[in-house]
Amino acid sequence: MALFQYIVGRFVSYFVVLFIGLTITFFLPRLMPSDPIEQYIFELQSQAGQTMSPDEMANLRETLSQIYGLDGSLVSQYLGYLERVILHFDFGPSFASFPAPVIGFIVRALPWTLGLLVTTTLIAWTIGNLIGLRAGYHHNSRAATVMEVVGVALYPIPYYIVALVLIMVFGYLLSIFPLTTTIRPGPLTFAKMRVILYNSVLPALSIIVVGLGWNILSMKALSFAHKEEGYVTFARLKGTPSRTIMNSYVGRNSLLPQITGLTLSLGAIFSGALLIEILFSYPGMGLLMRTAASSGDYNMLYGTILVTIFAVATATLVLDLIYPVFDPRIRYR
Amino acid sequence: MIRLNNIVATYTTTRGEVSAVDGVNLEIPTGKIIGIAGESGCGKSTLLKVIYGDLIYPLALKTGSVQYGFDSFGQEVTTSDIKEYWFKRISYIPQSSMSSLNPVIRINKQFTDHLDPSTDKAKVLEDVRAYVQKLDLPPEAIDAYPHQLSGGMRQRIMVAMGTFFNPDIILADEPTTALDVVVQKGILLLLMGLQEETKSTIFFVSHDMGVHYQITHKMLIMYAAKVVEFGDSDIIFTEPLHPYTRMLIESLPTIGDDHLRTGVSGRPPSLWEDLTGCRFAPRCPLATELCQTTEPEFKEYRRGHFAACHYAENTYQSSEIAILYDHHPQNQSPE
Repeated sequence: MALFQYIVGRFVSYFVVLFIGLTITFFLPRLMPSDPIEQYIFELQSQAGQTMSPDEMANLRETLSQIYGLDGSLVSQYLGYLERVILHFDFGPSFASFPAPVIGFIVRALPWTLGLLVTTTLIAWTIGNLIGLRAGYHHNSRAATVMEVVGVALYPIPYYIVALVLIMVFGYLLSIFPLTTTIRPGPLTFAKMRVILYNSVLPALSIIVVGLGWNILSMKALSFAHKEEGYVTFARLKGTPSRTIMNSYVGRNSLLPQITGLTLSLGAIFSGALLIEILFSYPGMGLLMRTAASSGDYNMLYGTILVTIFAVATATLVLDLIYPVFDPRIRYR
Repeated sequence: MIRLNNIVATYTTTRGEVSAVDGVNLEIPTGKIIGIAGESGCGKSTLLKVIYGDLIYPLALKTGSVQYGFDSFGQEVTTSDIKEYWFKRISYIPQSSMSSLNPVIRINKQFTDHLDPSTDKAKVLEDVRAYVQKLDLPPEAIDAYPHQLSGGMRQRIMVAMGTFFNPDIILADEPTTALDVVVQKGILLLLMGLQEETKSTIFFVSHDMGVHYQITHKMLIMYAAKVVEFGDSDIIFTEPLHPYTRMLIESLPTIGDDHLRTGVSGRPPSLWEDLTGCRFAPRCPLATELCQTTEPEFKEYRRGHFAACHYAENTYQSSEIAILYDHHPQNQSPE
């Protein structure tokens, strides 16, 4: 019963967060001084190089208002917006590639970002924690010191610098990997998977390298602290094998904050990969956001922002639901 | 018989080495509860660590060894290989049960994770479930996480862990300090009952002389890294040989006696100093020239009753000591 209440509570707060996110995304652009319709008409006119008659102009305004969902009162606009977004996942048409719907772009970009970032974040997290645990547990050994130096050296480098260095070395000087991502559309065959992997090596590497540094450092600090706990001493005095102490005692306890960190970084992957995707022209959400921002494609921008909100909220929800599995002290309350 | 052969245990510090246990030579009969008492920093816990064989940096055994009085393959077990018998023939009950249990792992797993991988753990846990019932714990308690049990239950779990494998020697480092008196009494009675049944040897460290009086068979009094007295508890508590022991006992309240407890004034000497003579001399009301210059030998004055004092044979009455004590220059109020 307590478990049921806990889960219902988490879901309620999840939907509240999503709702607030939706609402802010709706009202924020309407508070901006620029009007997308006027802007569009202005662009149209300057491109065409001729003026429209007032009648045509009014007609166009009305049509655009309808398409953009900008007709009627603010309340009816809001309700229409909620209905479209929640029930149909319809973020409206893209302004830049009118009238293609925004959702189509997002659906195409999403697998790229998710594939690249979920994989790299998980790889960096797993390897970083395995190394960090060993470095913290055997903190006197030479290998531990080396690993810590590696962590300290990697962690402060911004990942776009790592990306640039990798492009320079492996893409330009050695020409082992491509400079930018080029993948031809077509069905997902085994050969295409290989092309995708080949093109993803450098962007993946730059994210892993930097994430690794942070994970090593934090896990090392955590396991070094937990090593001094009374239960670790007692386990040693019991004659528990060193491996068991490292994994079940030091590792298990140090992992709890790291799981929180993993979930939060999974939620932040959309914004996190922005520069990587731009640098490698990787066709994911980051590139989409950037293109939308530079071309004034509001619908596209809001669509991507909403998906990001959805992702962060979902990651937090998942954390809340699974955390008690890792830490029995959390009660379903 | 457990033999402590000339044990000198040192801690390595940035200032150099300091001997926290300095020349302990004793034969301890098995099958008894041995109380170890003394002020903070006198070396009680260090001696316990040496007996347990838990010698990790910065603690090191400079000289000496412990003979545990049991054999393996015809060879007597000593300090060098006692580690192999941890929680088999020698076990340890820590002070704080809250911090000594891993909070994220069930107790049953912690009960068995030191066992040989080939052991049938399910079978062991069946026996553990039956065993903890004897210790007034519900059998389900071992399937719980530590935070789900009360402080008293957790300490019973620690006692169960320390005694389940039926060790010859049990070391208990202030196992009841963190508990309230009612729970404390329960744990002490439990320990006494288990010892009575199994005839194991328990080393019991505490600075609560009242607790020592209640449960120990033998007492070992330490002062400034040395053992100053060792003997049967009932004798030690009635006719102590060493003035320090006497003063420790004097500080215990008795019902109906409402005169002010004096305690032992002053502080033990710093182990960093060059210590000559009797280490207790600066605080001792009976100290003479001899005590300042010559270290008293630790020897048997009566059968099984050892002490390290030049005047152990002088039978002072406690009232006389009290008078001497009041006239001791250190205790005179500055006027």
